Amino acid sequence: MTERTGVFPATGDTAFVETLAPFRVPRSAYIHVPFCRHRCGYCDFTLVAGRDDLIERYLSAMERELATLQTPRSVDTLFLGGGTPTHLAPAQLERFLELLRTWFDLARDAEFSVEANPRDLLESDRVNVLARLGVNRISLGVQSFDDTVLKRLERDHQADEVERVVEHLSRLIPNVALDLIFGVPGQTLESWRATLERAIALRPAHVSTYGLTFEKGTTFWTRRSKGELSPAPEDLEYEMYALAMDRLPAAGYGHYELSNFARPGRDCRHNETYWAGRPCFAFGPGAARYIAGVREIGHRSTTSWLAKVEAGESPVGYREELTAEDRAREALIVGLRRTRGVSRDEFARDHGFNLDELGRSAWDRLCQRGLIEATEGGYRLTRAGRFLADTVTVEFVGTT
Amino acid sequence: MDPRFIRNFSIVAHIDHGKSTLADQLLLQTGTITQREFRDQILDDLDVERERGITVKARAVAINYEQDGQVYELNLVDTPGHVDFHYEVSRSLAACEGALLLVDAFQGVQAQTVANAYAAIESDLVIIPCINKIDLPVVRTAEVLDEMNSVLGIRPEEVLMVSGKSGIGITDVFRAIVERIPAPSGDSTAPLKAMIFDGKYDNYRGVVTYVRMREGRLRKGMKIALMRKGTSHEVLEVGQFRPNMAPCDELGPGQVGYFIAGIKELGGVHVGDTVTEANRPASDPFPGYKQPQQMVFCGMYPIEKTDFEKLRDELSKMSLNDASFTFVPETSDALGFGFRCGFLGMLHMEIIQQRLEKEANIDLIQTAPNVTYELLMMDGEIQKIDNPQDVPNTGGIKEFREPIVKVNFILPVDGIGPIMQLCADRRGIYKSTEYLGTTRAQLVYELPLAEVIYDMHDRLKSITRGYGTFDYEIIGFRPADLVKVDILVKGVRVDALASIMHRDNAERRGRGLCKRLKEEISKHQFEIPIQAAIGTRIIARETIAALRKNVTAKCYGGDITRKRKLWAKQREGKKRLKQFGEVEIPQKAFLSVLDVSDDM
Ligand SMILES: Nc1nc2c(ncn2[C@@H]2O[C@H](COP(=O)(O)OP(=O)(O)O)[C@@H](O)[C@H]2O)c(=O)[nH]1
Ligand code: SF4
Ligand SMILES: [Mg+2]
Repeated sequence: MTERTGVFPATGDTAFVETLAPFRVPRSAYIHVPFCRHRCGYCDFTLVAGRDDLIERYLSAMERELATLQTPRSVDTLFLGGGTPTHLAPAQLERFLELLRTWFDLARDAEFSVEANPRDLLESDRVNVLARLGVNRISLGVQSFDDTVLKRLERDHQADEVERVVEHLSRLIPNVALDLIFGVPGQTLESWRATLERAIALRPAHVSTYGLTFEKGTTFWTRRSKGELSPAPEDLEYEMYALAMDRLPAAGYGHYELSNFARPGRDCRHNETYWAGRPCFAFGPGAARYIAGVREIGHRSTTSWLAKVEAGESPVGYREELTAEDRAREALIVGLRRTRGVSRDEFARDHGFNLDELGRSAWDRLCQRGLIEATEGGYRLTRAGRFLADTVTVEFVGTT
Repeated sequence: MDPRFIRNFSIVAHIDHGKSTLADQLLLQTGTITQREFRDQILDDLDVERERGITVKARAVAINYEQDGQVYELNLVDTPGHVDFHYEVSRSLAACEGALLLVDAFQGVQAQTVANAYAAIESDLVIIPCINKIDLPVVRTAEVLDEMNSVLGIRPEEVLMVSGKSGIGITDVFRAIVERIPAPSGDSTAPLKAMIFDGKYDNYRGVVTYVRMREGRLRKGMKIALMRKGTSHEVLEVGQFRPNMAPCDELGPGQVGYFIAGIKELGGVHVGDTVTEANRPASDPFPGYKQPQQMVFCGMYPIEKTDFEKLRDELSKMSLNDASFTFVPETSDALGFGFRCGFLGMLHMEIIQQRLEKEANIDLIQTAPNVTYELLMMDGEIQKIDNPQDVPNTGGIKEFREPIVKVNFILPVDGIGPIMQLCADRRGIYKSTEYLGTTRAQLVYELPLAEVIYDMHDRLKSITRGYGTFDYEIIGFRPADLVKVDILVKGVRVDALASIMHRDNAERRGRGLCKRLKEEISKHQFEIPIQAAIGTRIIARETIAALRKNVTAKCYGGDITRKRKLWAKQREGKKRLKQFGEVEIPQKAFLSVLDVSDDM
């Protein structure tokens, strides 16, 4: 299996590592856990539903995959996403976290996040495991505090269960993030307002608000094309996003990225890795690693991924190596998602390109249209620009 | 070659009645091509033709055929069968003394059977009527004989029973060609006199000119003159098509072939012109063909400004190969510099366009087609209008005239009612009904051309479940209550979207047009009103709401990879947009005028 380790820089060997951000030694790791009880109608993530029989195979496969690291790596952030990591039985979860801890050395103030489904944390067993193994941040898939909306989303929990979970959870793991969804068919502005208020009342450290999208291959997509489900009107979605943008900052949550709000000092450090174009280890089906300018994404089919690993083959399903310019364009696009925007000096240092040259006339054009504004050392989206971020993005992508 | 042993003939038929297949069979049986070379419809050598299965350009092939110990030279000129190409049909007919008229044994007499048969009769050709495809499992031979008799006056005993595909009756066809078609006449010692009936441009050798010999001889090395302009050239090569270009020593009276004379400049050769000897000219040239009338026009604009000259070159080449196509430079506020192109009809337009995109590789914006109009001004002057934007906005117009066609439908009797309704809705004037046997009829209407060209074919086919056909000929211009409808996008008049229509339809069509444009133009950061107007009066309005939210919610890990591809596509798509004021209009929108169906 040694031939697959080429992209990982060996510890201590920094001779070939360039100074540009993507070429530095990764200080973050993402682990994908592809299991859920059932697949929600809007979800197109990499996962298998109702296949708990595969969990043991997955755990063994991850053991083999992590071994490709050769030596434990020191990281500042470790993130378990899914699927639903907390869908693992408490004993499995414990074994898995122990395994991860042997391969990833958490730096002293490291952020160790796990995505969780509220219902899995109703009992204290899993919470205890998480806390004991050093998890210090929980990202909770709340989605809504309106039971009709939760039902429409096909979630398995109810609104008041969330309050109970957050209450006992935050005694052991105080850094709790709540994920919310707006723009759900049938959801009203009032329902959304109430959801925001109940979220704020729980005093989480962090809130994410995601506009619902219809993805190909989901049942929502099919139902929409059959006319059984009508997406929220664009105007309503606008109002909902605007409400979050007003209400959360007023309650002390800074709008630091298009979909993310946090109390001071509570920005998700793991996700900052992506927006800053920094490298990241990743393991598991559908997980995207970014190392030395190369992006590799694990097979999106969990069973193929398993088969590959078990056969001793590379489970990478997609690999891309962008040109230096396209890498910089990508960094520019994701960088603009952050409220602070992009800075000329940092960009030149981290990505090796001059911001103004990269964007050429687009900066002026977008400034005129009121979507971009100049900051002291660079550019950022205006408030209007945040609503139309993709319109802005299209101006900066390469045409390849 | 002794003219007594030459026969020049065409094959005419309704589309798909088997001309090309029969032509192939004739070539195959005489060894002009071998079985190995044989591919279906070898004469249809343009890509476009193979794709669409129709013959667009006429082709001339010389065939050696032996009968009773005598070798004959049969010159076959293949012709197109579509209504748009009447002009090409009559050109090739002028090079012949006879024509095979094919009628499908099952489909029977169709609209273009009638039109093509009349064209041949008018050119004084001897007609050899054939019922083709008699190998089909289901045939209606007796009724088809009846139809041919009642519509065309053809006597049943003249008719040959043929299958071009399986080869049945082909010997009879050859015999009939030799025995019924007169040999051409002409004095081989007289000064050279040949008629140009076609031509093509060869990148290496210049213009290849197709001729039908009348008198004298045409040889390599000869000094010839083209009588129309008086230019003279030296002949570098003479030959025939067998079916590929095959040089020969000379062409004599009655023969059909080609010559190459190093004519490099496009437009140096005119179809219908007379070729003669430079030192010993013929006394009087042929009257020449009457110029075909372009009835359908559209604008063609290069998307890249820098492609303008390239487009001009390509159009010049195209027009040499197809004399029925015209183009003149024009400018549009909206689209910049381009050309207004004239076509015989819609199919003709589509074919030229397709050839341009294939052969020339130029990205084009094409405006919706319109028919040609005439304006009678107050001062008595008559203006020809090939482009709606040329209609003066100020008064001064006494009469607005549109082209009228006589339309001949041939259809099953149960289609008569619905077609009469359709024609009434389209401002048609009823002329006559004639029954061809018990199940089919011929219906004649006068209709404005504009009401016919866009979708009459589709409507007829759907009403008659594919069994109806029609053909039309221009009968002249008539005054009508026509108006120019302008389109304003966010207050800006987009000249390339203007169209001419009858006043009674203006509101309905204007509304339909605004609706279609609303679908074509994507949302912008601001609201976009789309209005239809006659002069300053707004007759319809739609509004494209402002784009309010367009943002990807999740952008972690691998999300960017998937999204980036989507954005790149959108970025690519923006290239095909034209900017009007603040609004970007996609290329497709310029054709939307066409898609406004009746029920909108
Ligand atoms: N059964 C049968 N089919 C034929 C015959 N001749 C032509 N076809 C078919 O009819 C269609 C049209 O033939 P084509 O020669 O292209 O017709 P054109 O449009 O008149 O040139 C093709 O699918 C031919 O294969 C024939 O004698 N018998
Ligand atoms: S729980 Fe989350 S990951 Fe699982 S199916 Fe539902 S939305 Fe998708
Ligand atoms: Mg054909």
